[in-house]
Amino acid sequence: MPTKSLSAEYLKGLWDENPVFRQLLGMCPVLAVTNAVINGIAMGLAASFVLIFSSLVVSSIKKLIPNQVRIATYIVVIATFVTMADRFMAAFFPPISKALGPYVPLIVVNCIILGRQEAFSSRNSVGRSLIDALGMSTGFILALLILSSIRELLGAGTFLGYQVLGPWFKPWIIMILPAGAFLTLGILLGIALVIEQKTKGRTV
Amino acid sequence: MSLNLRMIVVLTAVGLIAGGLLSVVNILTAERIELNRLREIEEAITQVVPGTVTSEIRHEEENLIVYSGKDAAGKELGYAVYASGTGFQDIIKIMFGTDPSVEKLYSLTVLEQKETPGLGAKITDRNAFLEYWENKDVRQPLTLRKPAVASPQDLSATEVNTITGATISSQKVLDTVNLSLERLRRALQEGILEKEDQDAD
Amino acid sequence: MDLLMLFITAVFVQNYVLYYFLGICPFLGVSKKIDSAVSMGLAVTFVMTITAVVSWIINHWILIPYRLDYLQIVAFILVIASLVQLVEMFIRKISPPLYQALGIYLPLITTNCAIMGLALLAALKNFSFIQTVIYGVGSGLGFTLAIVLMAGIREQLDLADVPKPLKGAGIALIVAGIMALAFTGFSGMIT
Repeated sequence: MPTKSLSAEYLKGLWDENPVFRQLLGMCPVLAVTNAVINGIAMGLAASFVLIFSSLVVSSIKKLIPNQVRIATYIVVIATFVTMADRFMAAFFPPISKALGPYVPLIVVNCIILGRQEAFSSRNSVGRSLIDALGMSTGFILALLILSSIRELLGAGTFLGYQVLGPWFKPWIIMILPAGAFLTLGILLGIALVIEQKTKGRTV
Repeated sequence: MSLNLRMIVVLTAVGLIAGGLLSVVNILTAERIELNRLREIEEAITQVVPGTVTSEIRHEEENLIVYSGKDAAGKELGYAVYASGTGFQDIIKIMFGTDPSVEKLYSLTVLEQKETPGLGAKITDRNAFLEYWENKDVRQPLTLRKPAVASPQDLSATEVNTITGATISSQKVLDTVNLSLERLRRALQEGILEKEDQDAD
Repeated sequence: MDLLMLFITAVFVQNYVLYYFLGICPFLGVSKKIDSAVSMGLAVTFVMTITAVVSWIINHWILIPYRLDYLQIVAFILVIASLVQLVEMFIRKISPPLYQALGIYLPLITTNCAIMGLALLAALKNFSFIQTVIYGVGSGLGFTLAIVLMAGIREQLDLADVPKPLKGAGIALIVAGIMALAFTGFSGMIT
């Protein structure tokens, strides 16, 4: 199988293999913290930090780890970076840390991160793993951004806390509730598939 | 090296390095995190007991902490009561301030809540809820005024305003406050709060 | 909070899937048929209850007394991973028919956010030992309820004319949204 160019390695994370919209991974945080754009961005950055550094470490030590204990090792590596991110946020950004609550520690069971170690970092060079992690992170942040923008705009009329829609707009409270998260993501998945089919159709 | 030995060595090494890294992170952040927590409490106390310069814990029981707020001269300005109780959706954590004889409630602030956005969540909003809690007479339990009135002048000194569409959240906050006032009075009667003063002698 | 209220809250008002968004992967993946949904739900409830006990013990006998709270995340996830391994081996030895029914779902449970979520939330809410156990059982049953309800709906949905782009995950999420909305009606039950 021909190896991808480095830019292709990065770009696949944004759409073709977008972890949320195409691989359907890591949906717990996407649904949970997208009630406001600032929360979505914070979660995206925290998860990206964990993904990038875990991939770097795993890819660097992959030859040293016996096969039988690889999952346990990945877990310890990931958990270490998650704890770092969680502590750092609690110390320097307390209001956001509070808003995200238990979902930052839950990054440790985010299937995207463990999945990437198993599928990529453990089999590729450090450089490639870094690019892959960057691509997946960007894709993840994009998904969080899209979902949280829709939810905050329609649910509160604000964006990043600033009132965007005037007083004529009556907020759709459902958007802030769990129900709104599910509905929005479901519809977005449908839209993603339509776009996929339309673009494939053109190139065929 | 045999496989089993290698497995153990690798896992132990990874574990130790991780543990070491994390204890460093802990040292760097633990103090700051504790400071953030204390600052939040201090700010709330200063808000509900106006004029507070220093504060100290007087009493602690389940879901209730009583602080006393003192001015620069060390004179006791009142009690700041931190309480948590069930709300509509999840736990609500509040702090309110009373005068030293627990006859007047200065004001209320909501520290943590997970009520319905746009409805119950309005309990954190000054115009919608909190301004109706200022300077209340608490010699008797407070009551909830339904339907909602338009301004604090329309309420008697023992009434607080409900939020239209969020009666239950409003009631839950009221219940927590009334219950906490009871517990505060009981602690005062039993002399639990006075102990600190005597120790300082 | 009294124990019955705690249990009811865990199952309905703060349902793990429909309120906390935990366990979405198995929720979408294993909810196509009612029997597999029931098996998954019970396996999760089983692991959750044991995790509740073990994580409470580790938290209150080791982490907190020795001021090692910052190791909570690492400790919990390692505990869960090992527990799942042990439970799988145990069930395989003790009861092959039970293993047939539940066994294949167990490895999936390690990365199930619901289990880790349980350990973290129980620690966050500062429950006593008994409260943690009840919370574990209740959350597991709540998860089972959601996943079985979803399976029931999806079995019917298979026969319906769903627009192509929404088939599969899309319509499942929309159904979940409507279910979440329905479950919001349970709020206010807690006193």
